[in-house]
Amino acid sequence: MVNIVIDGRKVKAKDGSTILENARDLKLDIPTLCHHDDLSPFGACRLCTVEVKTNGKWQLATSCNTAVENGMEIKTNSSKALESRKMAAELLYYKYPETEAVREIAEKVGVDVFEEKGEEHDCILCGLCVRACREIVGVSALTFQDRGPGRDLEDPQIEFDPNSCIGCGACAYVCPTGYVKMEAEDDKRIIWNKVFKMTPCKVCGRYFAPEDQLRYISKTTGVPFNNLTTCMSCR
Amino acid sequence: MDRVAFSSWNGKIVDNRKGNVSKTSKSADIKFPEMSGGEKATALMGWNGLVAMNKKADILSLTLNYLKEIRKISCGECSVCMIGIDKLMDMFELMIEGFGDKEILDEMEKIVREVSANAKCAFGQSALFPILDAIKHYKSDFISLMKGEKKIEDREYSTVVTAPCIEACPAGLDIPGYIELIRNNKFGDSLNLIREDCILPGVVGRVCTHPCEEACVRKDIDEPLAIRLLKKAAADFDLQNGASSLGTPASEKEENVAIIGAGPAGLAAAYNLRSIGYGVTIFESLPRAGGMAAAGIPEYRLPSDILNHEINLIKRMGVEIKLNVQVDELDFGKLQKQGYKAVFVAVGAHQGKNMGVKGEDQECEGFVDGVEFLRDLNLGKKIESRKKVIIIGGGDVAIDCARSCVRLGFKDVEIVYRRSRTEMPAREEEIEGSEEEGVTIKYLTAPVEILVKDGKFKSARCVRMKLGKPDESGRKRPVPVKGSEFTIDADMIIAAIGQSPALPVVKNKKKLGSTAWGTIKADPETYMTNIKGIFAGGDCVTGPATLIEALNAGNEVAKSIDCYIQGNHFDGRVSFTDVDLTKHRGQAFISKSAVNNVSFLDKRKRTGDFAEIEGGFDKSQAMNEAQRCLRCYRVVVWQKAV
Repeated sequence: MVNIVIDGRKVKAKDGSTILENARDLKLDIPTLCHHDDLSPFGACRLCTVEVKTNGKWQLATSCNTAVENGMEIKTNSSKALESRKMAAELLYYKYPETEAVREIAEKVGVDVFEEKGEEHDCILCGLCVRACREIVGVSALTFQDRGPGRDLEDPQIEFDPNSCIGCGACAYVCPTGYVKMEAEDDKRIIWNKVFKMTPCKVCGRYFAPEDQLRYISKTTGVPFNNLTTCMSCR
Repeated sequence: MDRVAFSSWNGKIVDNRKGNVSKTSKSADIKFPEMSGGEKATALMGWNGLVAMNKKADILSLTLNYLKEIRKISCGECSVCMIGIDKLMDMFELMIEGFGDKEILDEMEKIVREVSANAKCAFGQSALFPILDAIKHYKSDFISLMKGEKKIEDREYSTVVTAPCIEACPAGLDIPGYIELIRNNKFGDSLNLIREDCILPGVVGRVCTHPCEEACVRKDIDEPLAIRLLKKAAADFDLQNGASSLGTPASEKEENVAIIGAGPAGLAAAYNLRSIGYGVTIFESLPRAGGMAAAGIPEYRLPSDILNHEINLIKRMGVEIKLNVQVDELDFGKLQKQGYKAVFVAVGAHQGKNMGVKGEDQECEGFVDGVEFLRDLNLGKKIESRKKVIIIGGGDVAIDCARSCVRLGFKDVEIVYRRSRTEMPAREEEIEGSEEEGVTIKYLTAPVEILVKDGKFKSARCVRMKLGKPDESGRKRPVPVKGSEFTIDADMIIAAIGQSPALPVVKNKKKLGSTAWGTIKADPETYMTNIKGIFAGGDCVTGPATLIEALNAGNEVAKSIDCYIQGNHFDGRVSFTDVDLTKHRGQAFISKSAVNNVSFLDKRKRTGDFAEIEGGFDKSQAMNEAQRCLRCYRVVVWQKAV
């Protein structure tokens, strides 16, 4: 355990825990767009910025991926932190003005947002889908395009590898903007433009999971495919 | 340094423009980056500031071009940096169209400050900073632009992207780039990027002395990135997943190049020349290709399978390697008649130096030279283990010999070194590794005589040393202590006190230029020797140096040979010598993160076995380690002189 001070409150924090975890334990409201409790922190949206004092100096730090250190002082609602969040939200809103999730959070942190509801579902590169696919599902069908000298991309995007995807839909579930769409049509599921054949439950006949997903589960767990073709409700 | 009109480099303001009184000095005494080949610039903008050489500098177009260049490096992974740059460029466009007022400049300043304080990586934290200097110190230019009184001038630009680790790497690998690809789970793309400047990734990933890690900015925060191990991970992941091949040349060229020596320099040159279409033949004196990597690095550090695989890939591109061809006499005229337009001499430094002690020149059993010992061992010659061996020297070769002897089953392995541990040139991790395996080191001791009995080595007469004043290498000179002589009995002695090249004799009117150290004299930029068409690089020019330095010589010489054959001018790399790349003016917090470690072979399993000691990262570990990279890309844009 380490001793930290958050907004003047003395707290005993777990070793290796993040500022965000501790702040949320204290019911302090810190906005996030790219954070999910079950996924590794990523620090993409820069909305969870707080002020941190180490070595006598106050500096901005994103709370989601900053681990606490003994003696650390944290201000979650200083004017500097709030300004910084506002700028991050302003920039996101500048790039994705029609995306509702961005508009909502921008408004929340004090950005002037137009009244009309947003109609777009842009990818804001938060990386939740990439992390869910790799860390939870374990297939890594989604990756970031990278940048660097000589790799000039106008707009970096998420790359989809249809050969690895099992159609589980975890990416659509975690996507905060609705960019990742999952459509169902009888015995078909369409995700990232790939069509998956759904498997019917052998008890109730309802199409409940893509065949590729069940085959993947069978392969990784060793349970025969036929034992997996009963849906959760009928099991 | 030249007097400048304005400089904010490193945050120090020098202003010599008309009406402005310089607060400090007339010239910017802090070194800022200069263009390659001595080309002149009117101004530059880089991560650390803005410099205008003279009145002809057009700061407006420089700023706009700089924004365009940093936009290419901004990864978009955090919300503030790339969108911030986009917004700044949009605001610039507005100003060009004649819109805006002073407030737009305040808004730009605010964006720069917030992005610098809140961006995720060191690139985002530093790249935008010089824009502030432009807005602040060239405000009237921006205002004139908005009023339509000034236009953006059409100027030519030159851009360089680097990083502290890239500059520290002799071969200038795009380290943040290949780390980012690993972080993004693109091991294959990462390997392809590594191969652009390092054609022996599995080899270098194992044996590199990794000066990049010394330069890693994380070093001052927690621990440097394990850059070498990440390279190894990219190479090994490829091997485990079916092994990719190298591309074939897009088009063939008529000309051929001959290379003497299939070491890292020769192989790198061969690969680079072959990939642009030249026919390449390598002549190698040993029965195995790889140079010191094959004959000098023991199996436990570099498994031969790894080296052979990487050499085979180069061969499969069409590079011909003729083994067992000793080139004692280089007949360039004859080679030219055979169609070779240029020769690259890369024979390395494989000849052990004499210790200069009594009795050294007598042939006797049990007295060998370090590089010869390692060469015999690597080429499969049977070496019988005896009871005690002493190794003379304190460099990597001495340690390699000692640790090999442990594996061969010698009971007592002792290194004899004339200085103290602090001066030992071998790498610390290697010294520690040898001690772990039971090697003892006798410091401040030097041999004075080799004693032989019945044609067999019997003992070494040694003398104790003390350290005197530093010599030209900066290390304290060892001085013998009078009357301290003593004898060490042993069954074998290995002399590993340094190597020099065995140079071929060139059949030519002119003699091949060489140095007092017995190395070849070659132009440091073009690698051309005093004989036109004959190039030289690697250990035979530098003396014994690191593998990555030799490999870089091969990379560079290939470009130079191509320019020579095609009649083009060869431009060297931009030099960042004396330019501090680690510091920048942004101030964001960087949290500590633990380094990922690999496992090592159990000490008990090391005797009698040459199995590789060091383990590697698995995929997750590699990605986690890659996550620690701060991405310290530094961009410099020069406005060329009109």
